[in-house]
Amino acid sequence: MGNVVQLEHVSKKFGKTTAVKDVSFIIEKGSTVAILGPNGAGKTTTISMMLGLLEPSDGMVKVFDTNPKEITVRNRIGAMLQETSVIDMLKVREIMEMFRSYYTSPLSMEELTSLTGFNADELKRRASKLSGGQRRRLGFALALAGDPDLIFFDEPTVGLDITARRNFWEKVATLKLQGKTVIFTTHYLQEADDFSERIILFNNGEIVADGNPDEIKHNIATRSVSFQTNDKEVFALLQSFDQVIRCYEKDGRIFVVTNDTDAVLTEIFRNKVDAKNISIENGRLEEVFENLTAERKETI
Amino acid sequence: MNAIMTQCKFEMIRIFRNPYFVFWTLFMPILFYFIFTNIVNTGVPDQGEWQAYYLMSMTTFSVMGSAIMNFGIRMVQEQTEGWSTFMKLTPFPSWAYFTAKMFGQLTMHLLSIIIVFIAGFLINGVSLTIDQWLFSGLWILIASIPFLAIGSLIGTMKKVETAGGVSNIIYLALASLGGMWMPIRIFPDFLQKVAEWLPSYHFASGAWEIILGNVPDWRSFLILIGYLIVFMLLATYIRGKQEN
Repeated sequence: MGNVVQLEHVSKKFGKTTAVKDVSFIIEKGSTVAILGPNGAGKTTTISMMLGLLEPSDGMVKVFDTNPKEITVRNRIGAMLQETSVIDMLKVREIMEMFRSYYTSPLSMEELTSLTGFNADELKRRASKLSGGQRRRLGFALALAGDPDLIFFDEPTVGLDITARRNFWEKVATLKLQGKTVIFTTHYLQEADDFSERIILFNNGEIVADGNPDEIKHNIATRSVSFQTNDKEVFALLQSFDQVIRCYEKDGRIFVVTNDTDAVLTEIFRNKVDAKNISIENGRLEEVFENLTAERKETI
Repeated sequence: MNAIMTQCKFEMIRIFRNPYFVFWTLFMPILFYFIFTNIVNTGVPDQGEWQAYYLMSMTTFSVMGSAIMNFGIRMVQEQTEGWSTFMKLTPFPSWAYFTAKMFGQLTMHLLSIIIVFIAGFLINGVSLTIDQWLFSGLWILIASIPFLAIGSLIGTMKKVETAGGVSNIIYLALASLGGMWMPIRIFPDFLQKVAEWLPSYHFASGAWEIILGNVPDWRSFLILIGYLIVFMLLATYIRGKQEN
C-alpha cells in the first residue's frame, strides 16, 4: 500500500469548540504536502492527531496503515514541533546521541551533523544556551535522528530569517529526493506553493480545498451562483456555458462555480433555466486566501 | 536495553550538572555534619557513637533531598517545557523513560551515600564494621524508594514554581520532624508521636539501628512500604486523570 497517512471523517472537539470538523484525506508515499491555512484553522490539531498526540473525537487516523501510537510507527516518523523545547543540562552532541539510541536504524552521527551543519564548537554547547535559529536546527536534527520515512514539520520557518529559511527548504528538497514523505504546515501561501506538490487548505477546522498548487490557485478566484430547481437536466445545460468552471449540488441547491457571476446570470435568464431563490456567493477560498496573502505582506 | 542504558547515563550526567543537586544533596549535609559533630558542643557522652549516628542522619537527609527535590521538579519541568510531549513521538516508551530516570536517580543516591560516608570517615574518622557500612548503605539506598514516590507525586504538579515550593516545604518538614537534624528524644512528647508516623523518621531510624548493631524495626519496614504504596497509587491515579 502506498498510503502513508489516512484520515477518515476526523473531528476534534475541545470542550464545546470544534477545532477540526469532518476531515478526510490520504497522503501517498513520497509526496510533499503542505497543510495551509490561517492561524487557528486547525492545522496543528490535525498534525497532532497524525502524530498520535491527540485522540480524534470522531473518525479514524492511520499512519502506515496502523494506529499512530504504535512503536513501529514511531520508529518511522520524525517531527519538528512548533514549540522547540530542549532538555536541560545536556550538550547538543549528547542530545543527538541520546535520540539516536531510541531508534532501530538511526542516521550516523556524521550524517546528522553534516545535515544540520553544526560545527564542533556548537556540538559542545549546552542546548539551553543555543540561539533560536540553532535550536531550530537541533529540532531538525532530532526529527531526522531515526532516519524516518515520514517527517512532520509544524510551522517550520516561523521566526527564521530569509537565509535560514532558504537553507531549511534546501534540506527538505534533499529529503524529498531520498523518497521521504514530508508533511508541513504553514500559513504562507508562497511557501506552500513553492515547496509542495499538494496543498490541503484549511479554514475554521475544515478542508476548503485539496489539490496541487496550480489547481488551488485556479480555484481561488471563484465565485458561485446558486439556486433551487426542479429541472433534473439542468447540469448539462449549465456546463455548456463558457464561463462555468464546475457545478455541484449541495443542500438541495445547485451551485455554479465561475469567475464571472454576471455572465452566468445572463445565461441563466437567456436560456430560461428553471431557477428559484437565486443567490450569489463569494467563494470561501477567496476569503481564506485574502487572509493568507495579507498575512504574508505583514511579515515582509 | 541499550537505549535504557544510554538514557540512564544521560540522566546521571544531567543530575550531576545540576548545581542544586550538588548544593543540597552533597554540600549542605556534609557542612551540617561538620558543624554538629565538631563545632557545636552537643554534650553527648559517647562522642564516637554520636558521630556515626549523625552521619546516618545526614546521609538520609542527603538522599531524601535528591529524591524529593530533584526527581519531582525535573518531571514537572519536562512536562511544562514540552519535552515529555516530544519524547512521546519517539519509539522510546514512556515506561522505559521512567525506568531509566529511576535507575539514574538511584545510582545518584548510591553515589551520594558513598560520598557522604567518605566525608564522615575523613572528617571524624567514623569507624564501623564492613557489615555496618554495607548494610546501612544498602538500607538507605533501598528505603529511598518511597521518597522517589513522593517525588513522582510532586512531578504531577502543573508549575515548576509550585513544585519547587511544595517540595522544599515537604523536604525540610520531613527532615526536621523526622529527627534527621536532631534526635527526636529531645522533642516534646507530642512531636515524638508525630515523628513515629513519618517516613523520614523510619528511613533514618533503620540506619541508626544498623550502626548500633540491630536490625531495623519491623514498624520501619511497614510504614515505609505503606507510604510507598499510597504515594505510588496517588501519583498513578493523578497522572491517569491528567491524561484523559
